[in-house]
Order: sequence, then C-alpha cells, then structure tokens
Amino acid sequence: MDLLQTNLLTLILFLPAAGAALLLFFPRDQEDAIRWTALVVSLLTFGLSLLLWFRFDPTAPGFQFVENYNWFSVIGANYHLGVDGVSLPLVLLTTLLTPLAVLISFSVQENVKTYMILFLLLETGSLGVFLALDLLIFFVFYEVGLVPMYFLINLWGSANRQYASFKFIIYTMAGSLGLLLATQLIGLTLGSFDMQNAFARWPALSGVLFGVDTGLIRAIAFWAFVIAFAIKVPVWPFHTWLPDAHTEAPTAGSMILAGVLLKLGAYGFIRLVLPLYPAEAYASAGVLAFLAMMAIVAGAYAAFGQWDFKRLVAYSSINHMGFVVLGIAVAAYAQGFAAQFNDGRFIPDAILATNGAVLQMFTHGLSSAGMFLLVGVLYERAHTRDLNDFGGLMPLMPVYGGILLFTSMGSLGLPGLAGFVSEFMVVRGAWPVFTVFTAISMLGLLMTGAYILWGLYKTIYGPLNRRWLGHLSDISPREVIAIAPLMALMLAIGVYPYWLVNVINEAVTRLLTS
Amino acid sequence: MTDIPLDWYLWLSAALFCIGVYGVLARKNAVAILMGVELMLNAVIVNLVAFWRYLTPTGSAGMVWALVVLAVAAAEAAVGLALIISIYRRRQSVVAEEVNMMKF
Amino acid sequence: MQLDLQTLTWLIPVPPLLAFFLIVLFTNRSKGLSHTVALLAIFASLALSWTVLFSVIVWPAFGKQVIASAVPWFPVGIAGLTETTAFQMGVLVDPLTAVMLFFVPLTCAMIFLYSVGYQNWGKPRDPRDVPGKPPHYGIEPLYSRFFAYLSLFAFGMLLLCVADNLLLLFIGWEIMGLCSYLLIGFWFAREYDDPKKITPRQAAVKAFMTTRIADVIMLLGVAYLYWETGTLNFREIFYAQDGALLKLLAETPSFVGGLAAAHLIGILLLVGTIGKSAQFPLHTWLPDAMEGPTPVSAMIHAAAMVSAGVYAMIRVFPLFDVPAALGGAGEHAARALGLAAEAAAGHGLSPAGATMATVGAFTALFAATIAVAQNDVKKVLAYSTVSQLGFMLAALGIGGYIAATFHLMTHAFFKALLFLGSGSIIHGVEHGLHHSHEKIDPQDMRFMGGLRTKMPITFWTFVIGGMALAGLPFVTAGFWSKDEILLDAWTHAPVVFYTLAAAALLTAFYTTRQILMVFFGRPRTEAAAHAHESHWTMTVPLVVLSVLAVTAGWLNIPSDFPVFGALAQSLGGDFFFKNIVGKSLLEKPEAIPFHPIPLATSIAVALGGIALGWLVYRNAYAKADSPDPLARLGGLYRWLQNKYYIDEFYDSAFVQPTLALARNVFPFIDRGIIDGLLHLIGRVSLGLGEIIKDYFDVPLVNRTLSDGSGELVKGAGRELRVIQTGRVQQYLVISMAIIMVVGAYVFLMAVR
Repeated sequence: MDLLQTNLLTLILFLPAAGAALLLFFPRDQEDAIRWTALVVSLLTFGLSLLLWFRFDPTAPGFQFVENYNWFSVIGANYHLGVDGVSLPLVLLTTLLTPLAVLISFSVQENVKTYMILFLLLETGSLGVFLALDLLIFFVFYEVGLVPMYFLINLWGSANRQYASFKFIIYTMAGSLGLLLATQLIGLTLGSFDMQNAFARWPALSGVLFGVDTGLIRAIAFWAFVIAFAIKVPVWPFHTWLPDAHTEAPTAGSMILAGVLLKLGAYGFIRLVLPLYPAEAYASAGVLAFLAMMAIVAGAYAAFGQWDFKRLVAYSSINHMGFVVLGIAVAAYAQGFAAQFNDGRFIPDAILATNGAVLQMFTHGLSSAGMFLLVGVLYERAHTRDLNDFGGLMPLMPVYGGILLFTSMGSLGLPGLAGFVSEFMVVRGAWPVFTVFTAISMLGLLMTGAYILWGLYKTIYGPLNRRWLGHLSDISPREVIAIAPLMALMLAIGVYPYWLVNVINEAVTRLLTS
Repeated sequence: MTDIPLDWYLWLSAALFCIGVYGVLARKNAVAILMGVELMLNAVIVNLVAFWRYLTPTGSAGMVWALVVLAVAAAEAAVGLALIISIYRRRQSVVAEEVNMMKF
Repeated sequence: MQLDLQTLTWLIPVPPLLAFFLIVLFTNRSKGLSHTVALLAIFASLALSWTVLFSVIVWPAFGKQVIASAVPWFPVGIAGLTETTAFQMGVLVDPLTAVMLFFVPLTCAMIFLYSVGYQNWGKPRDPRDVPGKPPHYGIEPLYSRFFAYLSLFAFGMLLLCVADNLLLLFIGWEIMGLCSYLLIGFWFAREYDDPKKITPRQAAVKAFMTTRIADVIMLLGVAYLYWETGTLNFREIFYAQDGALLKLLAETPSFVGGLAAAHLIGILLLVGTIGKSAQFPLHTWLPDAMEGPTPVSAMIHAAAMVSAGVYAMIRVFPLFDVPAALGGAGEHAARALGLAAEAAAGHGLSPAGATMATVGAFTALFAATIAVAQNDVKKVLAYSTVSQLGFMLAALGIGGYIAATFHLMTHAFFKALLFLGSGSIIHGVEHGLHHSHEKIDPQDMRFMGGLRTKMPITFWTFVIGGMALAGLPFVTAGFWSKDEILLDAWTHAPVVFYTLAAAALLTAFYTTRQILMVFFGRPRTEAAAHAHESHWTMTVPLVVLSVLAVTAGWLNIPSDFPVFGALAQSLGGDFFFKNIVGKSLLEKPEAIPFHPIPLATSIAVALGGIALGWLVYRNAYAKADSPDPLARLGGLYRWLQNKYYIDEFYDSAFVQPTLALARNVFPFIDRGIIDGLLHLIGRVSLGLGEIIKDYFDVPLVNRTLSDGSGELVKGAGRELRVIQTGRVQQYLVISMAIIMVVGAYVFLMAVR
C-alpha cells in the first residue's frame, strides 16, 4: 500500500489507461464483460480519487501529493504532478462522471470495445490536465483528450457527425497551436517547463529576448494562451463548435464534453493565465468580462430559440460557462489592480468570484451532464429530439418527468440547488468590479429561466402527443442510478456548500493574495 | 639436398585454379560447374599449405586455414548439390544456360 | 432554554420538507398516506412555530433579545490572509418573525386541510380522468403529487419567515416561485376551446418568468447590499451597533447620481417585491395564476407567496426609512428626485420610500378598478389581492411600518378565507353541473346566484371575509388595519391618502357586487340550483379563518381611538400588536395621534361602497345574460374588462421581440456571422491549399524533383537491362574480366 501513499496521483491518472490496455485483450464479442470491466475500472478510479479527497488537507498551502520525476531532462520537462483546492474538485468531478457515462453507455451496441477504450483514454487525458504541474505534460494531456472525443463523435454520433467532429477537432487544434508555441517559448526562455518555476520567473522577466522586447513576447504568448482556452471554454464568439459537437455526440460523450472537457479551458485560465500573465490579464480583464457577458446573454437567447432539445442544452452550457469566465475576469482585474496600485480592495470580491467560478465549474459539470443524460434517455426511446414532437410525457414517464424537473431546476439555478450558490457568488463578486456587465448579465439569467421552462413546457407538459402512447417506457433503473449521484450532489451543494467551497477557497485565496 | 622450390607449388596451384575457372565458365552442366569450383578451392589449399611450409613453418595458422577451407568446400558442395537437385526437380534440366529466371 | 428554542426554530421549516421527500420517494402510490404525511408535517410545523412564538413573546426584552443561530455557509478568504470571513446562514426569531410564525403556519395548515376535500378525497377514481386535467367527479389522479408540492411550498414560506439573512430569504422566495410554477401548472394537460384563453401551463410559465424578471434585479440588490456591508444578516445591518451599517449605507453615494447606496439597494429589492407581490407593472401574472387549483390560489395569495414580497420589504424597511446623508451636491440631487407624494406630504420621504409609496398607491387603485369589471369569481379576488398588497406597500413607503405589517396579517386571514370560500363555491357549482350537464364556466359569477341557501356555511364565512375586505367598520379585522394605513397616509402623504381612499371605496363596491352576484337573487342556471355545501374538510378551515378575520383586528386598537381605545386599554390590549412588532426596529415607531378625518373617511368609503354596490347590483342580474349595469360606461368598461390591454401590450412589446431575438437574431449571429466567418476561413485555407498544389507542388515538386529523379533512374535501368541476362556464367565471365583488369592494373602499379 506504499504506492497509495507516494504515487496516488499516478495511480489515478493511469488506472483508466491501464484499463483501456486491458480491454484490448478482450474478445470483441464479449460485450458485457467489456462494459463491466470499463465500469469497474472507472469506479476504482473514482474510489481512488475519493481517497485523495479525504486525505487532502485543505488548510495546507501549495500543492499536495506531489510527484516529480525526470522525464525529458534534455529540455527540462519533468513528470510533475500535484493537486490543490482548485484542481481537486475537478478531479473528483471527472472521476465521478466517467463511471456514470460508462453506465449510461451500456445501451451502446456497436463496437463496444473501441467505445469503452476511448472513454477510458478520455478520462486519463482529462485527469492529466488537472494534475499536471509541468507545462509540457499539461499540453500533452490537453491534446490527448481531443482524439478519443473526435472518434466518439465521429463514430457514434448522430446524423451530422462528420461536420461536427471535424469542426470540433480542427477548431480546438487550431487553438492549441498557439498554446504549444507559447509553451515552448516559456520552456525555451526559462530552461524548464516546470509550472511553479514559471509562475515565479516568467511574469518578472524583463529585457530583450531574441532581439524582441520581453513585454511584447509575453503579450503574444498571453493571447496564444487566452485564445486556446477561450475556444475550449468556450467564450463567445469562439463557441460555435460547441452546439454542433454536443448535439451530434453520443449521450455519454456529451456528458463528458460538457461536464469535463469544457472545464479544461476554464481551468487553464485559472491555473496558467492568471499566475503567468498578471499584468496582461489585468489589461484585458474588461474584454474578458465583456465576452463573458456576451456568452451569458447570447447563450441564453440562442438556447431559447432552439427546437432541438439537445441543442438547447448545449447552448445552456455556453450560458453557464459565461459565469465562470466572468468570475475569472474579476480575479484578473483585482489581482492586477492590487499589483499596479498596491491596493487590494477588490481582492475579497475576487476571492468570492473565483470561488464561485470554480464552484460553477463543478456544479455545471453536474447539471449539464444530468441534462444531457436525460435528453439522451428521451432520444434513445423516441429517436427524435425535436421539441415539437413531444408534449405531455409526464403521465407516461412520471419518474422521468420528476427527474427532468429536478435537474432542469438545478440547471436554472434554483436556490437550494447547486447552481444558485455559484452563480450568486460570481454575481456578488463581479458586481463592484464590472457593475454594468453584471447588470446586463442578469438578462442572461432571466433567459435561463425562459429556455429551461420552454424545454419543460414542450416535453413533459401539455396535452399528450398520442403517437407516444404505449411507445415510451419510463426511465430505467440503470439510468436512474446513473443520474442519482448527480442529483444528490446538486442538492448537497445547494443546501450546504461549505464542505466544497472550503477546499476551493483555501487555494483560491492563496492564489490571489500571493 | 635441395628442396623443391616454392614456385613449383605455386605453378601447380595456378594451373589447378585456371582449370577450375575454365570449368566454371565453360561447362554447361551445373554439376561440372560445381566441380570447377571445387578445383578452385583445392588450388587455394595448395597455395596455403605451400606458403605455410616455406614462410612460417613454426606457426599453425596455415594448416588451420587449410582446414577451414576444406570445411567450407564441403559445405558449399552440399548446398550447391542440393540447389542443383532442386532446380532439376523443377525444370528437369541441369543446364546452366537454361536457368535464367533472374533476368529482369 | 435559549438553546432549545434555537433548535426548535431550526426545525420549524423541516417537517414539510421531509413530507415532500417522503411523498415523492415513498408514499406517492398511496393517496391516503400522502395526505396524512403532509398534514402531520404542517401541523408539526404549526406546533413548533407556536411553541417558539409563545415562548418568546413573554420575554420582557423581546426585540433586544432574539433567537438567533447561524452556521457558516461558505467561506470567503482565510483568516490571517484576508479580512473577510465565512458567510453565515441561520435563523432568527425577532418580533416580526414571531408575527409571521403566528399566521403563516396556521393559514397553511387550513389550506392543507381544505385541499383534502377540494381534491375530492374519498370519492372513487373516475375512469374518464386523465393525469394533468381537472377531475370530472372522482379523486384527483395526481393527489399525492399535489400534497408534495403544497408541502414544498410551505417549506419555502417557513424558511423565508425564519431566515436571518437576505440570501436565505431569497432561497425560500425562489423555492416558492418554483412551487407556484408547479402548482399553477398542476393541470398541465388542460386545453381550452378558445385559443386565446390562457392554459394552466402557460400561466405557470408566465408567473415564473414575470417574477423572475424581478428576481434577477433583486439578486443584484442582494449582491450590492452584501458588497457594501459585508453581510446580509438583518440584525447586523439594521440593529447591531445602533445601526452603524445602515448609517454607512445612507452616507455612501451609489453610482446612480444623487441616490444613497441604501436607497438604490432598496429600489433594487423593491423590484423583487413588485414581481413577487404582483405590483404594477409586473402584476399580470397573478390573475392568470388563477388557472391553478383553488387552494393554490389561496396559498399564493394569502398565506405565502405574495405576502412574502411584502414581508421582504418590511424586513428591509430601514433602508427605505433612513434619510440620505450624502452631503453637498448629492443631497441636492437626492431632493430633486423626490416624487409628488413627498412634495405633497412635506415630510421627508426617501426617494426609495417615495417610489414604493407611489407604486403601491397606484397599484391599489389601478387593480381595484379592474376588479370591478371581472366576472370570474377568482379573478375578482386576484385583482383585489393586487390592490390590497398595494395598500401595504403604500403604507410601508410612507413609513407606516406597523400598519403595513398589521394589514399583512389581517389580509392573510380574510383573503385566504375568501379564496377558500370561492373554491367551495366553484366546487358547489361543479357539483351542480353533474346534474345539469350545462356547458358553462363554473367560475363565472354570471352563472351563479342564489347560493345563499344552498351553501349556508360558505355563504356566511364568505360574507365575513368580504366585509373584512371591504372594511366594515368596527367589527372586521380589515377595518382596523385599513384605518391605520389611512391614518398614516393622512399624516404623511395626502396624495397617497386620497388614492387609497378611492381604492377602498372601489374595494367595498366590488366586494358587494361579488357577494350579490354569487349568493343573492335566484339561481341563474341549473347548475347553481343544484349546488350543495362542501365536505367538512373544506368548511372547517372556512370557519376557523372567518373567526380570525374578525378577531385579528382587535389586536392593535389604538389607545386614543374613541370608545374602543378605552375599552382595549382597560383590557390591557391596546396597541398589543404594535408593542410587539415595533420592537423589531432599532427605533420603535411612534403611534400617530388619532385624527377624525381618516376615521370618517374610512367609515364613509366602506359603508358607501357597500351601499353603492347594493344599489347597483341588487337586481342587476335577473338572468345569466343580463348586461352588467356598468356596461353603460361603454368604452371604459371594455378597457376595465380587458385589464387595460396590458397583457396585449406586453405581448407585442416584450414577448414577441424576445422570441424574434431568440429564434432569428441570435441563431443568425451564430450560424450566419460567426460560422460564416469560420467557414470562410476554412474555404480560404482550402483555396490556398489548392493554389499551392496547382502552382507549386504539382509542377515544381512533383513533376520536376520527385518525378524527375524517378524518371532518371528508370531510364538508366532501361538502358542497362540488356546486360542482365540471368545467366550465371555470363556474370562470372564479366566479373572475371573485371578482376583481371583490376588485377592487371594493381600489378602494373605495384611493379612500377
């Protein structure tokens, strides 16, 4: 059990990949064995991350469970892992969502083996980003996650999957090109890809490098980072790949895409952009806040205009992730303001907003994954997602109706459920810093209500569409088991968020007051 | 008593070698070609032993090399005959001119 | 003892929540078990509330001393690194909460009990009934679910009452919003022949969305308050350290010119109440909310939701009361913002208070005019509620803290009574419809008449409620509370006084009209003739509430009121209510000296309105299709009947543009502009690739370099193949020749 003590993160990180390797040796037609193995592996990973959660000491500063080994010593890249209060909830979220996604994928019939292998690889890819403390490792895992997702959309997606998967991969790849260059620039300049080293030295770098002023180099690198992460989040107007990808992806793919992959971008902002580019982030905090506001408002309006249920939910992600970016913008502004004028008056607001942003990542992970799951349940039975085809399903599927109602309300940000807490924290934190943008964002919050109610109105309410009579069965126990943890967590955070916010808060406060 | 001078052995060896070369180049029968090769190898052995005896009689390298060549010759003969049998079975002929499969 | 009471207070909202989860998760298949669970829970809450209430009310220093307990809810910053600490979430019982604890659980419990009868408990399931549509005659198919929703609703309201901070209040507030949505849309499958008539599910969405407009603005107010003060706790902001935080708020200028932060926050919060309490201009959802089952209407209107709006304003009343202390130019601008009410009063109302008074007074009159022309029995009451809430807000805006709270309580009793009564009426008529099989709307008062003898308990209790609403002098609760509001208005803001007096006159008038149309004369339809009294579970709540609708008024008789004041004083009960509730505030509000004019007005408008109603409507409806006497007003009547066409205006001004924006503009931005740009980039890249291929790769790289070298090698091979005969001996000859040439060369070189 020594390994659990010293190499817990490596275990968590590579257990899914090892599971994927194991699945390679399974005969193709042993579908049930493959499914259960994938589930068990992902559950084991979740168990390990629970262990991590309970062993984690929130009050200790800095990173914990650090592992640092030589990896690529010629260029100064190390295999360096660690968690802090910002990444820990996301690790937990990832490892929680994967078994649920695997469970909901039990209904996938074609090419089960490849499907499950891709899923487990996807988990390793996402976890790597959250755990990495080395820029190169970060980048590698950042890219690793793309490939399985591409194939998941391309091979198991619905009608328009070619276009969607192509758009998804080209767009994100294009974004990460700049990230790669900027990462190499940092590595080359500092002689090491280590994050903590880079945090300490990169922002303070001055003078002339390669015959160019370092300020300019930093500005270019900053925008390379920002664009890469902005596409991933996605921030308006880089968002258009998202509705297509989400809509075409298989149910579980959408769950992970919305629940985990979008968080990679936002996590990148908090983990890398804020510490590496405090001055540049301060200068463009207003722009970021404006884009966040646009995401909130435009996402909500666009969601309201949809006739495709899944597309509606997809747009809701843009709307919700806008709050994350708004919180980050506040942090960027406050941190820069404190450095520039030696006046930390916005720091408490920034702590609130960033706490809210990280919490929002978590809660959005819960609610959006839940929503996609439920849309998938409906799609699997009815083979249509057009809102006009439904109506009055409540008496036919009473349990499903109740769960949809609950999850929708979580997504809507109903107080008492998780989304409200994080949204309130962001709004409260952003109010003194970006008053006008926050006020306009309220329009988005209003429209959130509109599109959620619109979705409910067209599906479970209204007179029964006769064509479904006797054709729709209620949600199955397997599907209920898959969504129950999400609902329980939404309620737990909504009622008493302290246990989670406490962990986040410690890390965020240290991040912003350092 | 005067010994037989080294030249004689060398002439003998050269003659043997030339007969072997002629056999290899001129004969049509593959077995005969093989025999020519054997002759060339024997010429080499004669050469080796002669040089050993006249130049370094105290060492044993020349003898050893002669034995090595013998072993190679035996192996070569075995492989060569096997090949010839194989070609014969396939084409009912051991005439070298008719075996031109390697032509581009 | 203190500790025990704290625990009890925490427990007050819990039973209904437990009931909700129990019903949803376990007992939903058993209707009887479900309603038992719900009823037990609400009575448990009632018992808890009253235990707490009667324990604290005897404290001599109640007000200074309160029940308060809190837990950290989310942390902000780390002690030592930053100055801020955790956000505390907790419960508070101060005198104001105590009042709420008196009437809220009681009214809720009555509504729960009533629902048992209303949803046809005990009758067999009618095979024609469909879930999501009102039952024909049998028990409601979604009976269990109804009680689950009701329980959640009660939980929200109780949570809001015991909340010690604005955020928890907001949480309860929104939970109620959800429940009202669920309950208004309870008959979600219901459709009408008339496509223009709003269906329950549309009404539900409308209610939720309209209140949400207000809620998001209120949320900004909450955020603003939290930022300025660093806390949302009521006691800390309004009471602790002699109101230091409040003073700070009054001194801080907001970013809107001339407004103190306190007042801007107040106005933002007021918007929330305008939505929740259905004040103009966000009042339109409430009458449509009548699409829900009647106990829901009572819940929304009386016991819970709309009262919550006013309650929130009473909670944050000091924000409105505190004068701006900006100094200099700010002060000047603040004064310039003063509204007509303030100018007329000559009494320093804050801009926020003046706004509230204006909204309240205008709504009071405005809604009363609409109520006059409605024929739906519940819609009359709905508009009357809007109007009465306007009374409360107007009173609060001009500083009448006690009067507003008092009216909130009395109104809760008599309005719940009226709604439950109307439900009983509808039930009676629907019962009659089973005999007559007429195709009429059972809620339309024109098809009623003569129910006085058919439903005596309903009749008498309804009359009591109606008279309380009308403000029948001296005996009813409504009179005492309304009189107090008028006295406040008379003293502080005459314009408000005249408006409210006019509204009160109309109130008495339309109440009389309603009672006459429903209960008097002859039955105008077969259904009305066959109506009969409701189940005991429905009439018991009516009786209980009607008792309270009378007696609640005696709780706050002013000491200097002629005759009654002395009487109350001798019993030691004068200003009983004021003496308790007033202690919620840092500075206990002073009693306004008695003045005969508002009293005379109050009596005159009540009696005058009743008399006028009697005169006009005594014989107006002989048959169901008789024209309404007010139809003589012509165009004005049509305007009133159509609620000033505000719904139509909102539809074309806001709803349609929003839909257009959502369905056309934003998708166009995404699909057309952004994706268009992306596709353009894609196409340009593709084009660039084609150009490179056609003009560089193919001619230069392919044809010249790669193909060229290949061709070269191939040509050479073609030329050299001749020597490749495949004959081993030829090869040997060639190699021999080469060896000989090379050997000769080497030999010759060596020789030379």
